Amino acid sequence: MKAPSLVLALLFLTSLEANDALDKARQLEKAGDVLGARTALSTAVQREPGDVDALTEYAEFLVRYGDPDARAAYAKALEAVEKSGNRSKLAVLARELSVLDLIAGDRTAALQHLEAYHTAGGKDWPSSPNWKAAEAQNEPKQLVNVPGPLRSFGRMAAISSDINSDDVLPALARNVVTNGYQASHSNEALEQTEYLKLVHRYLSQARELETLAGADKVIRIETCDSANAGELLRIIGYRMRGGCGSEVVLETVNATRAFLTSDSGFPLAELEQALRTNRPFVYDFHAAPVPVLYGADYWLSAKEKESGDFLEAFLGDPSLCRLYLGMSKLDRQTADELRKAVPMPRLKAYAHVLDFFGGMFEIRNGKAVVPGGSRSDAAWTELVGVSPDQGAAFFDKLLAKDDGWLASLFDALARINGPVKEYLTDPARMKRFYMAVRGRVTSPGPARPVFRSNADMMLLTTRLRMDASGRPVIPGSIDVWKNLFVTHPHGKYDGKLTKAAAGWKDPDDVLEALFALCRKAVENEPLKIFMAVSDLDRSRAKPFEPATVDRLAREYHIYGLQYALFNDAPSVTDKTVLQFLDTAEAITRMKDQGLRADTAGTMQALVGLWQIFCRQGSIAADQADTTLAGLLAPFAQVHRDRDVFDAGKNGITLLLKATGSSDISAPQDRLLELLAGSASPADSDAHAQVVQEMSRILEAQRIISLTTLFQLDDNLQSLSRGGKLDTALVNRLASRVSEIQLPRSSLTTVERNAFAFGYWTERHVEGERKLNLRAAIDRAGTDAEKMKDIRGLLTPFLRDTVVAHSYAHYAPPGAQVLYTNPLFVRGHDFIGVQGANHTWKSTELFGTGWPSNGGGRLVGSLAGLPYALAEAEQNFLVPTQTQALIWGDLVPQMILSAKIPRWWNVTPAQVHWVGLHMRCARGLMAQAAVDPELRKQVVEILGSLAAPARSMLVARLLEEGDVRAALERVTPSEMFVLASEMEPRRKGADGPVVAEIRQLRSAHPSEITAAVVSRAFGTPKPTLTNSYRPELLNLRTFPTLMGYSSRIMAESWESNTLFWASLADELHATPSQLNVLIPEWTQKVVERIFASHLEDWPALLRSLRTVGDDIRAKAKLQAGEQKVALQ
Amino acid sequence: MTSPSKAIILSSAVFLAGGALWLFGQESKNPVFRTKVDLVVLSFTITDNKGHYINGLKPSDFRILEDGILEKISTFAEGNKPAVQVNDDGSVRPLIASGAESSKPGIDPRSDAFVGTNVFVLFDSSNFMYRGFVYAEDAIADFVRGLDRADSVAVYSFSRNLSRASSLTRDRGDAIFGLRKTVAGDETALYNALLLTLRDAGKVPGRKVVIVFSNGPDNASMVAPDDVRAVAEDEGIPIYVISTNEVNKDPISSNVFRRITARTGGKAYWAKTWQKQVEAFESIREDLGNSYTVTYYPAPNPNEGFRKISVEILPDIGKKYRVRSRPGYRPRA
Repeated sequence: MKAPSLVLALLFLTSLEANDALDKARQLEKAGDVLGARTALSTAVQREPGDVDALTEYAEFLVRYGDPDARAAYAKALEAVEKSGNRSKLAVLARELSVLDLIAGDRTAALQHLEAYHTAGGKDWPSSPNWKAAEAQNEPKQLVNVPGPLRSFGRMAAISSDINSDDVLPALARNVVTNGYQASHSNEALEQTEYLKLVHRYLSQARELETLAGADKVIRIETCDSANAGELLRIIGYRMRGGCGSEVVLETVNATRAFLTSDSGFPLAELEQALRTNRPFVYDFHAAPVPVLYGADYWLSAKEKESGDFLEAFLGDPSLCRLYLGMSKLDRQTADELRKAVPMPRLKAYAHVLDFFGGMFEIRNGKAVVPGGSRSDAAWTELVGVSPDQGAAFFDKLLAKDDGWLASLFDALARINGPVKEYLTDPARMKRFYMAVRGRVTSPGPARPVFRSNADMMLLTTRLRMDASGRPVIPGSIDVWKNLFVTHPHGKYDGKLTKAAAGWKDPDDVLEALFALCRKAVENEPLKIFMAVSDLDRSRAKPFEPATVDRLAREYHIYGLQYALFNDAPSVTDKTVLQFLDTAEAITRMKDQGLRADTAGTMQALVGLWQIFCRQGSIAADQADTTLAGLLAPFAQVHRDRDVFDAGKNGITLLLKATGSSDISAPQDRLLELLAGSASPADSDAHAQVVQEMSRILEAQRIISLTTLFQLDDNLQSLSRGGKLDTALVNRLASRVSEIQLPRSSLTTVERNAFAFGYWTERHVEGERKLNLRAAIDRAGTDAEKMKDIRGLLTPFLRDTVVAHSYAHYAPPGAQVLYTNPLFVRGHDFIGVQGANHTWKSTELFGTGWPSNGGGRLVGSLAGLPYALAEAEQNFLVPTQTQALIWGDLVPQMILSAKIPRWWNVTPAQVHWVGLHMRCARGLMAQAAVDPELRKQVVEILGSLAAPARSMLVARLLEEGDVRAALERVTPSEMFVLASEMEPRRKGADGPVVAEIRQLRSAHPSEITAAVVSRAFGTPKPTLTNSYRPELLNLRTFPTLMGYSSRIMAESWESNTLFWASLADELHATPSQLNVLIPEWTQKVVERIFASHLEDWPALLRSLRTVGDDIRAKAKLQAGEQKVALQ
Repeated sequence: MTSPSKAIILSSAVFLAGGALWLFGQESKNPVFRTKVDLVVLSFTITDNKGHYINGLKPSDFRILEDGILEKISTFAEGNKPAVQVNDDGSVRPLIASGAESSKPGIDPRSDAFVGTNVFVLFDSSNFMYRGFVYAEDAIADFVRGLDRADSVAVYSFSRNLSRASSLTRDRGDAIFGLRKTVAGDETALYNALLLTLRDAGKVPGRKVVIVFSNGPDNASMVAPDDVRAVAEDEGIPIYVISTNEVNKDPISSNVFRRITARTGGKAYWAKTWQKQVEAFESIREDLGNSYTVTYYPAPNPNEGFRKISVEILPDIGKKYRVRSRPGYRPRA
């Protein structure tokens, strides 16, 4: 609400009676003016501070919107009710307040309010819990000392300073395992990397400083000429230049020591300042105690115990580090049982398997929890050789079995839920698939490389689809897959499988082959085909015909990356899909590479726009197929440049018509409006901002507008009919052409030949620069045919313009490359390196870090454009913490998740729905701290999403009443699922949040469905689902995987948008503002991430919450300032 | 000029907002307007044939031409002395930002906006600099300490990403504190970092320079050196480079350094040893203290591409003097 209207509202509200004000507030909220409603309630409460109804309604309002003032409001309401003596109301308020106390981390207040609840006759909750007793059951942590401040050690060991002290050693262990050792140049042994050498050197220096610090562990230099000043400077590698006093300057004398000093963050500037001013320098150098699982002695050999230095022994033994890492992933109970039953040296021998595949191990009541439960017990007994009833022995044997193949299957099956799990854990089937994945030769196992090597098995078990009868869906038919394996068009996949394929009759035959291929180190093409086609069918009313699937499968290796297009329009027909493949093939066959690049670029860009419009709903489902078919048709008939121009122009016209655009006289404007998304008039400010950003990018890229190009075309056509040349138009084009520079390259001919890529790009740009339309027209004279061909000269420009619209649509926040390199779009290379046809391959970055060329550029098709643009931009982000700790694969996915979805059609009720679920989950967690039965249910649901170690930790924290710490360990997407599953189970009245959820559901039945919410607040998962359609899959967070690094992990992270939606609800932002705010907020989150390793998603969660807190604080400050201004 | 009926939308990135706006967006109903960079800040040094700086010249001793068109100098400053307003007759008066003058685009109302230089030090902390990291820090710290009191300094470091170790400040202690907190990194994205530094510098009113301290090789940048150079040229920000490499060791980087410094009015140094680095910094400091800075509003010029700037010293002052300045700029869109 704007300031003047707020003044009027305030004046109006202050004149109302309390009840009228409450009515008014309800009306305002119902009308969507949440801020106005809050003001009305606040005013009512201020006017009648003792009015129980007003106070209660205000408090409930605040809790429904997650307002931090809710707790204080409840306290006031409770105080007023206490005076009134209304016992039943007292119990309700006291209970709600105790929940808020727990969320705020105030256990003392929570206990007081629980007591008040029981005193007032509250009976729904059990008697007050004994959190302290639960806490007392915790064994005291055993500690080891890291010399010097932990922050300094963390800087040297690449461990975030935000990390929980319990996680320091696991993070160190992981860094030692992944970065600490490398193959020796001289022999087969491992040698330490520079990273680990520096950690050792730092520890040595820190010990020297510790000695200097003396018994009280504080380094004190009283004056510049103190005796220990010299010793300190020696240790840190510096000396004084100039005599004591204002002239003194510290300078390096020992570079090795000085580097450690500087890199570890020793306060050198403060020391220098103290020496200059002759003031004491005091630096606390206490060792940092760090928890070590089971105490240091458990990990050390007798000899190492003698030397007594845990850290040195730890850093010196990568297997030990790996075991530590593996054990730290287990829940406490499981780890304890395993530790007691299996000697440490034996566990160490299988540490690699434990590390990668032990995270889902669970021992409960002495028994191993196995995928498939009791039904599969016998099968597991047979496979492992020990019954799951003997928990520790079972896992001991599982770890030692076949170098990790069975453990990897166990892990993959334990991670999934639902009918697929049911199916795959059928005893006979499980044994069959295990034998397939294990193969005859078990070494090397899947845990040997740095990343899990059989990543595809995890993708298969996660994404396999089941039909209504509980059978796996095999796209097309079994025959399609049989033929693929038998005729194997592009090289035999596996000789044995080829032989077996002839006899395939059952879906399990296909699945068995796919499992078998998961063990191969080479790319598992059949699985990728299977997943891609399976994903295509997923949203379709009618699956693709076997013939279509057959062709899609056979041509996957060339066009497979383009298939994601069809996922944005499930109504596309078999005929059009085949037409797409025919067209692509026709383009591939073109001999003239320049013409091929222009044709492929224009066609891909147009199809890309069609995809965006289908995704955003601008093209209706029933129009999608005919539009695509119409758009593709002319591209199959291209013989010369002018055909491409005509096809491009036709495509734009078709797209605009399909979106219902009645006026297409200014196609450029209309296209930009559509790309920004369909906004209602109320959202015009946010929409204009998005359009403006895209316009600026087109301008920075010196793009010639569609309108100009089409007008020129019209004019040229009229010339051939005897019309008159529009010189203004020609001049406009010439002026723009003059702004196009050649790529700023200083490559020599030799270099250019050596690095063949870029040739076609330079030719493309050079051709555009040389265009002299007027001269061409003069040359054509009255020859109508030649005049027609002149239109072909505009083709490269049209290609750039259409491609530029895709670039602008997906441009990441900041878009430094697009604003700085005016040839970035023109430089898109659709041909690629000579000898390797990139036309249909994924978009890739080429030429980064090569000062002699014209900057990085994108090569390949437009299929991976959103990711590639985000990848190009990520190094322009400025981390607020230690630099260069940003993931190479996670950040682009986060950026594209903020850019691809648009929220114009999201309703306030949907945003509020997400916010309410977050609050509901918080409330449930708090209640679970009091109610053991509820706790069991909460932990069970969390267990379906989080690893046992985390869900058990949350359970323990809840038992101890530490709700705040428990909440910190649960992701927003897990909270959303928790509330979604628990809310229907909660009978009767369950506080204002649950009541509101139910009210919303009944008031907005079509807006509030699982599918709609998933579409609105989900994320695109191009690798995992072969689709850019945003959706929520509620998956466990994936680990890093070989061949995918952290990309799949990033795609399985669904928390950001849900978190932002909840935050927007709290701040009363409109849904349309999300289109501007989410990219902006996401950039802040990325810049705040301070991670210690590739799987450190808790660092991402911390960053998300910190940025959320900053935004809340800023909003509160602004509200306060506005209030002061009004007063 | 813009069509009066159409809304004027200003780019948020434009800080030197000019008076003249004109429509670019062709026939669009979502027009994009280009803003002419009306206030041009031009720094240059004048030396004799022995390379000695020539000081004490007055505004009336120069002629500034853009594409051969004579420009009227608006303000003038020598070294770190406060800038003065230049009257139509060539006489000068103190620059007091008040009334109509302060409302002129590009003139910062703060009275000290044109006093001293805003120095952005960009320090390479990537793997390539590993060996010389601490010596580099020492040399930069010395440079910061020795800057004129009127100068402000920011210290940025970079490897794959940029890190703003210390924001622009006149407090030398703060700058050195930031410098000493720098962490050694991994890959080198020099030109990405330089671009971001120029973007920051571009937001600051007054005279500014960027000093790059690096050993040269870049293995992670997305933008090309010449695209970054163009930004510096257009913003009027001289780039100085101190390379800790030998000039012949990495000829590609050396050529790039030469080109981007010369084209922006800065200078490149090759200083492998600590002593040479100190000398290079001393030379830059001298350059800053002995340069002239003028501002002017360009006279009407139909050229929307690269505009060539030339600084002429009137013949009676000295024909043998050499002028070093950026060769020109491109009006910003």
